[in-house]
Amino acid sequence: MTTEQEHTLRTVHQVTAERSNGALLSATQPYPDTLHLVVDKKAMRSVADGLVNQLQARFLISVGTDRRPLSGDFGIIHIFSLDRDHLYVLLESPIPEDDLRVDSITPVVPGADWAEREFQDAVGVHPEGHPDPRRLLLPDDWPEGIHPLRRDFPYNFRPPSVENVRPKMREAPTGTSVLPMGPFFPVLEEPAYWRLFVEGETIVGCDTRLFYNHRGIEKLGDSVLTYSQIPFLAERICGICGFIHSTCYCQAVEKAAGIQVPRRARYIRTIMLELERIHSHLLWLGIAGHIIGFETVLMQTWRIREPVMWLCEAISGNRKTYGMNTIGGLRRDLPDEVRPELLNTLATVEKETIAVRDAIIGDSVLRARTEGVGILTSESARSVCVVGPPARASGVAIDARIDHPYAAYDEVPPRIVTQETGDTWARVVVRVGELVESIRLVREALSALPVGPICAEITEEIPPGKVGISVVEAPRGEAIHFVMTGGDNRPYRWRVRAPTYANLQALPAAVMHGTIADVPITLGSLDPCFSCTERLETIDQRTRTVRIYSRAELLEMSRGNRLRGGAR
Amino acid sequence: MTQSFAVLLQCLLNVAIALLLSPLYEGVLRKVRAAIHSRIGPPITQPYWDLLKLLGKEDLRSRGGAVYASLPPLVLGSLLLLATLVPMGAAAPLSFAGDMIAVLYVAAMSSVLVMLNAFASGSPYAYVGSSREMMMALSVEPILAIALTVGAFKAGTLALGGMLAFQVQNGPSISMTIAGLAFFLALQAQSGKLPFDIAEADQEIMGGPLVEQSGPRLALLRWAMWTKQLVLAFLLVEVFLPWPRFGILPADLAASGVKVLVVLLLVEVVDVVNPRLRIDQAMGYYVRVALSSLSALAFAVIGK
Repeated sequence: MTTEQEHTLRTVHQVTAERSNGALLSATQPYPDTLHLVVDKKAMRSVADGLVNQLQARFLISVGTDRRPLSGDFGIIHIFSLDRDHLYVLLESPIPEDDLRVDSITPVVPGADWAEREFQDAVGVHPEGHPDPRRLLLPDDWPEGIHPLRRDFPYNFRPPSVENVRPKMREAPTGTSVLPMGPFFPVLEEPAYWRLFVEGETIVGCDTRLFYNHRGIEKLGDSVLTYSQIPFLAERICGICGFIHSTCYCQAVEKAAGIQVPRRARYIRTIMLELERIHSHLLWLGIAGHIIGFETVLMQTWRIREPVMWLCEAISGNRKTYGMNTIGGLRRDLPDEVRPELLNTLATVEKETIAVRDAIIGDSVLRARTEGVGILTSESARSVCVVGPPARASGVAIDARIDHPYAAYDEVPPRIVTQETGDTWARVVVRVGELVESIRLVREALSALPVGPICAEITEEIPPGKVGISVVEAPRGEAIHFVMTGGDNRPYRWRVRAPTYANLQALPAAVMHGTIADVPITLGSLDPCFSCTERLETIDQRTRTVRIYSRAELLEMSRGNRLRGGAR
Repeated sequence: MTQSFAVLLQCLLNVAIALLLSPLYEGVLRKVRAAIHSRIGPPITQPYWDLLKLLGKEDLRSRGGAVYASLPPLVLGSLLLLATLVPMGAAAPLSFAGDMIAVLYVAAMSSVLVMLNAFASGSPYAYVGSSREMMMALSVEPILAIALTVGAFKAGTLALGGMLAFQVQNGPSISMTIAGLAFFLALQAQSGKLPFDIAEADQEIMGGPLVEQSGPRLALLRWAMWTKQLVLAFLLVEVFLPWPRFGILPADLAASGVKVLVVLLLVEVVDVVNPRLRIDQAMGYYVRVALSSLSALAFAVIGK
């Protein structure tokens, strides 16, 4: 621990003591980089205010936990990051069962908006004084008073559905008309509903309804699956950055259980994470082109991207969803034979990416469509707690690879790419810069790849009641996994926050006073991440016959007789 | 009697060219677009199959009403009328003293009909698309008018046939070259190509005026769009680039057909290498084009 960190820790203690006004219940340091504060719930808002507005801590996410079987109460944890000092601060309050209310911190930390609405839906703790306490993730026909993440809620319970319910949306201000975008809209790959309030072509406000595809993954993690099964589910959280989620989950458990991951595994994780960033950024660049009608960019970047997918297939056996991560390291080594192919592909991709970059930078029409469009000021990026390229394009120099180093990033550090203007063009420039930087990182990690085991020997049970938090810099920004270990070989609570969760909250600010024509590209420039997996194709290696499984067949295979008739 | 029969025959020829060849041109353009994308692309005959498929589909309507249901045939009809007013290899079949004015009116009529149809469909996307269509029409159609006025001034007649004859006889001039160039730039927007396909803008307003169109009505509107780009390209090459002129209908028609293809290919390449502009940017661009095209009138006045 450096002296700077010690100094910061002292300041945190000091501010907490002042702000909590005697309501501080305990302050511990479970890991060198984590400070765990427990305060009485009446001091929650004041301490959060002190952390964010006095110490410039960044709000990450909130976790609501039903701890009735353990300690007879509920727990709300707000997680903060002190980026420069590489520290996490966990701010926890016990919530007694007979008074399920806590002061909302959203009035002092606007970025906590969705996080607080989410624990209200999931465990039923009401954030008092929240400016917009509407339902966030439960379906509109979900009955009141049923909270799916409570321990007494069975994972396979389905409340009866109700026809013709509509989301509670805000009324359009007088003098404006409503232009709906969604729930199905050409540039949205997944259902999402934006109500744009427009005067002519100008946007004067908007309202959203999301989470149409909420899959209840956290619930499965703490009720059905085991520690070592979850990485496979975590990888399926996202169809593009799956490896990021499985890595992030494994790291959280490894931290909670005190498992040391071998150096070679950490390097291979770094290589796979950066390959994922390369193909994700190329994919994004194509989609951004498509959104403004520039199909040539889409076609060419996806052509450049394809060899990267082949490379991932050569390494892991799959284009996507590699299934390589496990707790303690990896299940599959990086074969030495792919090394020449890897270097060749990187060289080609680098050359072609630079050609595309130069073409884009010289394109005056493209710049006319993106410069000064969808501006996210540095202040609003900070206040809404935006992450990843949108944050860096607004001059907020945060990057989980540097702020909370993991895998091998302490030994192969990335160079951070930032821009100051905060417009769509800046977000393009940041991502294209990161693309080239990622290629360098893969090369560097590959040349320094150590030999040795790829997975730690785990001899002891994972102890219950431990807390692990891990962040991974996904292509879209920082993904967060929080794990509280449980006794039955599975987490007691597993909390996931994908980066888009933070970034989408910035859209209303970014589209304000722009035109209808600018909304799709502004939304696209936040790179909202959607996943969709409906079918499976298998190829028999010997006979080369292809078989495609339908959704019904997959359901039959995965659920079998267990749920027949029970599932819809 | 024989004379009116000949006019009828010529009208039929122009209508047939416009109606039957426009999908073929579209098919060629799609191939070029695919080549620039590094794709193989659909067969050249694909637009015909698209039309057949759409014509055979169910006609889903967002609301009743005669305007909404009946306008697509009128849109296509207005463009076929335009085809009979434009010379294609020979003098325009329905030519009379003021046919330049008629051409401008009929060309504007098709956009107005599309707009009316969109307003009648009741979709907010169609409203936005129509208002964009209107703004584009207001900024692009003056350019067509200026360009044709230069021709009229030079030839001393409002008849397109007269302008054609004058051009053939006198060869290229500075004023007609500038006017032709302005017409070409306006053609990009008139044929609904990027960076000016703002009224349709799939990714922003889901096709704008087309969003509530389906089946046969969508087929007719697509067909009308392809016809419009073909007929206006013919107008461009016949009035501003009529050379060489053999005086034999099949040869002249073939020559014009090739020139039209070259013009449309250029339009397509501009489409493929550009993203879509915003409506305010597009209008600003066309105001500048219109102001520059006024210089052609000045050149025409001093006899260049």
